Amino acid sequence: MANKSYRSVLLPVATLFGLALVWQASCSLFAIDPWMLPSPLDIAERMGTDAARLAEQSAATLTLALKGIGLGVGFGVVSAILFHLIPGVRTALSPVIIITQNIPLIALGPLLMLWFGFGILPKLILLVLVCYFPVAWSMLAGLGQAEPHLREYLAMIGAKRWEVLRRLELPASLPYFFSGLKITATYSISSAIVAEWLGGSEGIGHYLVLKKNGYDTAGVFSAIICIVALSLLFYGIAALLERLVIRWRPPRSEEKGGKAA
Amino acid sequence: MNGEQEVKLRLDGVSKSYARGKQRHPVLDRISLTVREGEFVTLIGPSGSGKTTLFRLIGGVERPDEGQIYIGGELATGRRGLISYMPQQASLFPWMSVAANISSALATAGVPAKEAETLASRWLERIGLGAVAKQYPHVLSGGMQQRVSFLRALLMPRDIMCLDEPFAALDALTRADMQAWLLQLWEAERRSVLFVTHSIEEALTLSDRIYVLSPAPARVLAELAVPFPRPRRVGVWKDPAFVELKERVLAMLGEGAAHGR
Repeated sequence: MANKSYRSVLLPVATLFGLALVWQASCSLFAIDPWMLPSPLDIAERMGTDAARLAEQSAATLTLALKGIGLGVGFGVVSAILFHLIPGVRTALSPVIIITQNIPLIALGPLLMLWFGFGILPKLILLVLVCYFPVAWSMLAGLGQAEPHLREYLAMIGAKRWEVLRRLELPASLPYFFSGLKITATYSISSAIVAEWLGGSEGIGHYLVLKKNGYDTAGVFSAIICIVALSLLFYGIAALLERLVIRWRPPRSEEKGGKAA
Repeated sequence: MNGEQEVKLRLDGVSKSYARGKQRHPVLDRISLTVREGEFVTLIGPSGSGKTTLFRLIGGVERPDEGQIYIGGELATGRRGLISYMPQQASLFPWMSVAANISSALATAGVPAKEAETLASRWLERIGLGAVAKQYPHVLSGGMQQRVSFLRALLMPRDIMCLDEPFAALDALTRADMQAWLLQLWEAERRSVLFVTHSIEEALTLSDRIYVLSPAPARVLAELAVPFPRPRRVGVWKDPAFVELKERVLAMLGEGAAHGR
């Protein structure tokens, strides 16, 4: 096991490091202009000099994404439960929800800003729309997936509707909820970037616009690195939450295989 | 047993049929039976003789086409929440600890939460499962899970316990073990039990009375009193009277059922 995890960390890290080396070598070897493609060292240098600003802008993006994810997940969970409990609602509302999911953010963002100004409100609406769907839909699927024999048992002992929800359907939907949450976690960062890009005075998305307009390509790459780091952080937190909450699963088969071998 | 004891469960001419396409398939044909207080009554019949349907009617999950069901002396046709139930699969909730599985079922039956917890832990201790009370059910073997499932049914304060082929999924050794265990525990507690099985030996070993059902549509072919005294020896099957009774039941069930057991 120890050997395995060692390898599972070392191999990807070595690959990334190798790629950076090739990149650095190509930049020096072919004398590529830094405004076309900055070398990894150029980017690192830029990140060093601009560290305070990057941290500040990342924090702004993080705050926006957290607000969006909080609201989106909240609405998602509540509406999944409502759709599950009241049969007609889902059929009535799903066309509207599906339509909103198919409007590109690039098109929707400017409209929202036209209607709600340049403050936080249009950005939040945009984020909530993005964060809502994966959570609501996967949780709704999970609520209907509860094992039939457990459902039958609760019916036979005369459990009330809310007992079936609390004791069976909600716990059974948690794995589905978390796969939705993991998708939402990464979506939320890239949507926050789009929202900040379209209009705003702070955040990594805003920083990205400024750097692009100034042909500061090293700055653009610095922003990209921050965005990727934020997305990975969000995904990691969602995955960690999942592991903390869902502890009843029997040990994975791979662990069993490890013991046998 | 004594005929003056209170009747806990009475079925009065219960019939049920299902529509399959345009045809109606009768499943139960005017079934009448009683279970008195502290009596262990078994239904035995070939597979597909509608025993599970009968349980669903008693549980109030479905309504009979004809006839009435009385539980604890009151009309209970189509009413839920009056029986305790042990299904074929242990049906423990994987996200609840072993103790919580029991105490939550007791809560459904109206036992106050504190009392339910105390009862669950005291009884788990008593049946030698105190050490796993706080664990998730997946750590238990199939036989142990069935013990928990039986305990959960036993502790629910309801007039009648319905056990639906609870040992059918266990291997022969575990099954014999479970029968002896259940016999001992039941003889100490003397709850009113309606038990369903395919196994004639199991029926004769455990019951006070046996109803023999015909293939679908199920009718009551015969009602037999099992004469062996309580507490019953595990070796009761060596008794010549046991063999004689077994042959009578076999003859009634006909060749179909005789094959399997």
